[in-house]
Amino acid sequence: MTVNFLMQNLINALQWGSFYALIALGYSMVYSILMLFNFAHGDIFMVGAYIGLGVSLGLLSLFGSGAAAVLPGWVVLVLTILISMFLTAFVGIIVERVGYRPLREAPRASAAITGLMIGIILETANILFLGGSRLKFPQLIESVTYNIGGVYVTNKKIMIVLVSIGLMLALHQLITRTKWGMAMRAMAYDYVVVPLVGVPMNTIAAMTFAIGSALAAAAGILFGLAYPVLDPYMGVSFGWKAFVAAILGGRGSIMGACIAGFMLGFIEIMTVPAIQIMNRLFSLNIGSNFRDLIAYSIVLLILIFRPHGLFGQAYSAKLRL
Amino acid sequence: MDETLAPKQTGGIFYRVGLFFKPVPLLGYLIGFLVCVLWEQLAGEGLSSLLGLPKMPILFGLLTIFKVLAGIVNFLIKGDAFHWARLVEIPMALVYLTVIYLVPLALVARAAVKPANAMARYLQKFPLIITALVQLGLMYAVLHVWAEVSDYRLIFLKLTLIAVLFTLSLNIINGYMGEFSCSHPGFMAIGAYMSSLFTVGLFASDKVLGDAVFNFSAAYLTFPLALIFGGLMASLCALIIAIPSFKTRGDYLAIISLAFLFIVKSFFENMQALGGSRGISGQPDWATLPVIFITMAFGIWTINNFVTSTMGKALNAVRDDESAAEAMTVDTRKTKMAAFLFGAFWAGVSGGLLAHVLRYVNPAMFSVQKLAEVLAMVYFGGLNSVYGSIVGAVSISLLGEALRPLEIFKWIVIPLLLILVMIYRPTGLIAFKEFNARQVFGPKEVD
Amino acid sequence: MRKFSSGLLLSLVAVIAFTFVAVDAGAADTIKIGFNIPLTGDNPDVGASSKNAAEMYLKKNPKVTVGGKTYALKFFYDDNEYKAESAVKVSTKLITEEGVLGIIGPQSSSQAVPAGEVANNYATPMISPWSTNPNTTLNRPYVFRGCFLDPFQGPVIANFATDELGAKKAAVLYDIAADYPKGLAEFFKEAFEKIHGAGSVVAFESFTTGDKDFSAQMTNIMMTGADVLFVPQYYSEVPLIVRAAKEMGWTKPILGSDSWGGGDLMGLCGDDCKGYYFSTHYAAAGAKGATKTFIDEYTAAYGKTPDDVAALTWDSLGLMVQAIKDTGKLSGDIKADRTKVKDALASIKNFPGITGNMTFTPEGDPKKCAVVVKINDAGKFEFFKSVCPK
Repeated sequence: MTVNFLMQNLINALQWGSFYALIALGYSMVYSILMLFNFAHGDIFMVGAYIGLGVSLGLLSLFGSGAAAVLPGWVVLVLTILISMFLTAFVGIIVERVGYRPLREAPRASAAITGLMIGIILETANILFLGGSRLKFPQLIESVTYNIGGVYVTNKKIMIVLVSIGLMLALHQLITRTKWGMAMRAMAYDYVVVPLVGVPMNTIAAMTFAIGSALAAAAGILFGLAYPVLDPYMGVSFGWKAFVAAILGGRGSIMGACIAGFMLGFIEIMTVPAIQIMNRLFSLNIGSNFRDLIAYSIVLLILIFRPHGLFGQAYSAKLRL
Repeated sequence: MDETLAPKQTGGIFYRVGLFFKPVPLLGYLIGFLVCVLWEQLAGEGLSSLLGLPKMPILFGLLTIFKVLAGIVNFLIKGDAFHWARLVEIPMALVYLTVIYLVPLALVARAAVKPANAMARYLQKFPLIITALVQLGLMYAVLHVWAEVSDYRLIFLKLTLIAVLFTLSLNIINGYMGEFSCSHPGFMAIGAYMSSLFTVGLFASDKVLGDAVFNFSAAYLTFPLALIFGGLMASLCALIIAIPSFKTRGDYLAIISLAFLFIVKSFFENMQALGGSRGISGQPDWATLPVIFITMAFGIWTINNFVTSTMGKALNAVRDDESAAEAMTVDTRKTKMAAFLFGAFWAGVSGGLLAHVLRYVNPAMFSVQKLAEVLAMVYFGGLNSVYGSIVGAVSISLLGEALRPLEIFKWIVIPLLLILVMIYRPTGLIAFKEFNARQVFGPKEVD
Repeated sequence: MRKFSSGLLLSLVAVIAFTFVAVDAGAADTIKIGFNIPLTGDNPDVGASSKNAAEMYLKKNPKVTVGGKTYALKFFYDDNEYKAESAVKVSTKLITEEGVLGIIGPQSSSQAVPAGEVANNYATPMISPWSTNPNTTLNRPYVFRGCFLDPFQGPVIANFATDELGAKKAAVLYDIAADYPKGLAEFFKEAFEKIHGAGSVVAFESFTTGDKDFSAQMTNIMMTGADVLFVPQYYSEVPLIVRAAKEMGWTKPILGSDSWGGGDLMGLCGDDCKGYYFSTHYAAAGAKGATKTFIDEYTAAYGKTPDDVAALTWDSLGLMVQAIKDTGKLSGDIKADRTKVKDALASIKNFPGITGNMTFTPEGDPKKCAVVVKINDAGKFEFFKSVCPK
């Protein structure tokens, strides 16, 4: 029973962590190249989810849904993800052009403020165009629950985890195997000198935002599948927490962001069963409501003992906020 | 505003206006404002009805103007009926602003140059504290008379003064020390809860915290104690951030402070003894305008002394280069610790004031939204500057209130404005400007 | 110095001119009612519903006759951004600047408690349609509310679970950071344990506002073997919780509270929510009389069924206008009129609202019946049972 219980929570944590990881990647990529945090990223995730909603509804009306469907659900899903990633990439590029490029020489905190403000504008624009009420994300694939020895797993959970890991691997390939990836890594290494040898700073910056936003869009659609209620503020707390994951992973470390994203998801989800097991073992009475308190105390402790995150480099004057 | 502060050689209109007002000391402006607000009490009602305004403009006519604009926006978007005759209110509000404020202020301030300077020079013979007290008293008189017209002004003024103190306390850490601390709403929450605990627990009967322990008529005299208690508890909790800041900086400290904010909020949500998510209500009505004004003035004074002291210079040194500062015998640990504790103390005090103005406190008030708000105030006004914090807090509060009729469009206009400020003045409107009390309160010599 | 003296002279002339032009500022034949509602902020749809209901009311009843004199109704909508600070500012502004006779709102307790203080201090009647925190009306003669309270609704659901579903063990999943779910969850627990003994609420799980993942809590609830799950959450969270429950293999009934009826629950939840029960103010399917008219007209005007915020706002507005009529005559002195309206509100008996007949207790809370509805297979809220306070 306890094993089942832990396994169940572990699977839930994997799904939850994959959202954090995908979003944290966007933060981390922008960070490694431009040395600034894109605080609008949480809201780009929201925009991505809404674009996904629009695209999937469009595709469903085009190809029919339910019994009259021309295309199977998973094809529509793949198309939705690809088209939305493409469209959201442009949102990222616009955000970079408007909010960050004029501020590249400015103190980094100023860019953080523009990021926050762009986030507010995106939320407000959403309310203006779609109204304040929540929208339902269409269930593109039939949900099937498997019972594996008392552990309940749905096909969607498996798919979400696999797709996120696939996207992370694809990103890894892009960064390590392509010329653009090399340019990005070079820029991350030294963004003052590298442009002098002919790497176009503006293109790389725009590309970074585009890739980060595309990943956020994918996260948004997967999120919509798992938790099918979209609201204009869904990106706010998610964005801040993914920001925590990005830094926890270590500044600008792509792998660190992935691992820290899964770790944060794991900490947040596993706190609840941990409390329950503690309660049972020591007959205490702590409520699961202490989840945030305990989860972020753990984060705080990790940072106290590893002040540069899991995979980050030490502080230097150049990297100051 | 910017042009008047840094006159250009080109001789434009701003330069000439700046030159015209250059010899006016603060005392002159205060006298001017006093005349304006008295003049408004006398003639405001009559003038506004003469101008055909429905009500006396309450926030310098801004609210009136934006109400009309909001009507136009609703007409364009939703097709709501709009009486075009109302358009006339915009120029009328401007006329009101000119007649009641601008003209008398300009005339009196300019005309009173000589007596005001003479007075300021005379006051300068006394210790600084006397000069300051006289002028602060005058400033309070201005605000008091201004707020007397309407209780809406009063509540706006109270919350704005609290925002000034709160913004300034964050500026110590984010501006003077150059960290990016996200924990300030947390400190404010601690101050608000602890001072409420003090006042509600001891002097008021409440469902959550039980009957009053003490019951005497002069209980409000203990309010400073409550505020100090709140501030000290906030300082104590600031140790959680101050100690890690010895080893870590920048982004890592930013998320340590963010995690702290989440923890504090979660803590108060879960503390059933403190009302949980329902919060505490029924604080005694002790946060009156004079109390808030005195606290704010005292706060600005101590913060300004702190940042202009050796310790304050050490703060700037730590910001600009920590290892160099260390090499120059700056005790970086002590400096950081002092900055965090001091900033948290005043955030706690402002939280205590806020709780007693609203007479209610709940954990949802101290969310990341509050964080975005106070960050906007600090960076809009300007880093590393007392003026900046005052300007930032006042202008964002004023904008927030004046743009309220625009409803949802408010949240397009304010962020756009902030983005523009960040693009054209990345460090904020008035950054890195030292606040020299002697100079501010002293006479302006005409050269 | 010459400039100074000429300015002084001009000012003096102006003073004399203006102080004699005293014009009666308020138009005498309008009644102003203020709305302190969240048009922006975290819950813009709450504000939108309130505004929709109010606008519909105004369109239907643009004029009120009090004691033989006809007044035009005028509504002032002000945005409180879903923040306590702004709610206080807005209430002060509505009372002192706009000179309203009464205020409707704020909707949520976190704004209604501090704004109620303001309304009471300025002796202005205020009705919060939606706030369930006892502190909103506690010791505040000028503050009223439009909805029933947790101490009533909690036992209604607990009794329903016992009598109709035969539940012996119950689980609760609620948001600890929000005022309403938390209060209701506690009263349900109290009532259920009173019937079945201590410990019969086998799981009392919570989460924090904004959480989307309930799998950890559901895993635990599944382990306890509860017969019924009570979810006092808002319509936006219910679909996620129901899904999480189904994915964990939950097949037993789920119960909800009146918050389920807010917003577009069926649009978000789809088939998942069918067959569950919740307590609310009225059953939309098979509604009769004024309730049906309201639902039909609202649906025609705004393209969606009215949520409980809209219905309660409508009723609060109806109460306010009824009280204004009951005063018999308005004196034109706004302060005296406000007190008269408050007295009239307090003595209203059996006001026929669309959410039931209402009578205020001395605290300013309404006594009204709750109904339990079932979400039928057509996705409609079908009447199941009505429970009235004793």
